[in-house]
Amino acid sequence: MAETDLQLEEKKAVQAAGESTRNVPVFVPAVDIYESDNALTLLADMPGVPIDKIDIDLDSDQLTIRGTVDQGEQKGKVILREYAYGDYYRQFTLSSDIDRGKIQASMKDGVLKLVLPKAEAAKPRKITVKSS
Amino acid sequence: MAIFRYPDWRWPDIPGALEDFEKARRQMDRLLSAFSSGTQSVASSGVFPPLIVTEDEDKIYVEAEISGIRAEDLDISVVGRTLTISGERKPEETQNVNYHRRERKWGSFRKALTLPEEVNAENVRAECKDGLLRLVLPKPEHVKPRKIAIQG
Repeated sequence: MAETDLQLEEKKAVQAAGESTRNVPVFVPAVDIYESDNALTLLADMPGVPIDKIDIDLDSDQLTIRGTVDQGEQKGKVILREYAYGDYYRQFTLSSDIDRGKIQASMKDGVLKLVLPKAEAAKPRKITVKSS
Repeated sequence: MAIFRYPDWRWPDIPGALEDFEKARRQMDRLLSAFSSGTQSVASSGVFPPLIVTEDEDKIYVEAEISGIRAEDLDISVVGRTLTISGERKPEETQNVNYHRRERKWGSFRKALTLPEEVNAENVRAECKDGLLRLVLPKPEHVKPRKIAIQG
């Protein structure tokens, strides 16, 4: 058992994410972004979105993630609803040193993982000081 | 003209009177917000994971948003009319990284739900897909609605 209790985070709705033609709310997915020497990794929680309904777009330095929720058919009448169905949308501005050709996206248990490898020029280099 | 002073009027001393008023106000709020957004109104219990429960004549369906939790880290049990969903969301294993954003939460959770009806605990089906947990809980024969034929 972990020491931390997982707290419920209410989904945050996007105020204006461009005009949507779907009559569903649009939410901001919670993300983790971390950077290692070689890559920038992004994790986004998008429960209910199948892998083929994820849309990733990198336009100059604007990274846009969009997830369309697969609502399926509702069986029976609702007796309790603690969350709403909706799409996910989020935009980031990246530093321009990403190797665009090598971006990898995968989806597992409703979490999108995006690995954005850094371009060679942007990798940190250790500078050795030579003593003469 | 005579003006009568109402003898020391106070809030009625009925237990729960204020709470009832507050409840009515909240329901009104919910109703109005459902109208304005044109979508589903949500009543949160504040406990992870959030659920959607539906039922038809012979089954109860429970759906939970559990993104980032592996099926083997989930524990589901039904005792009487109480459904318990517990588990742990583990953090991503990383080494030597610097975080730019860290919004995703992790930790353990335990949630109980009182089902509207008794269920056949032996035949509960559970499925994890795309970060959603879906449970199908069949109702036993004796709680299913029965059509009564009227003899003429």
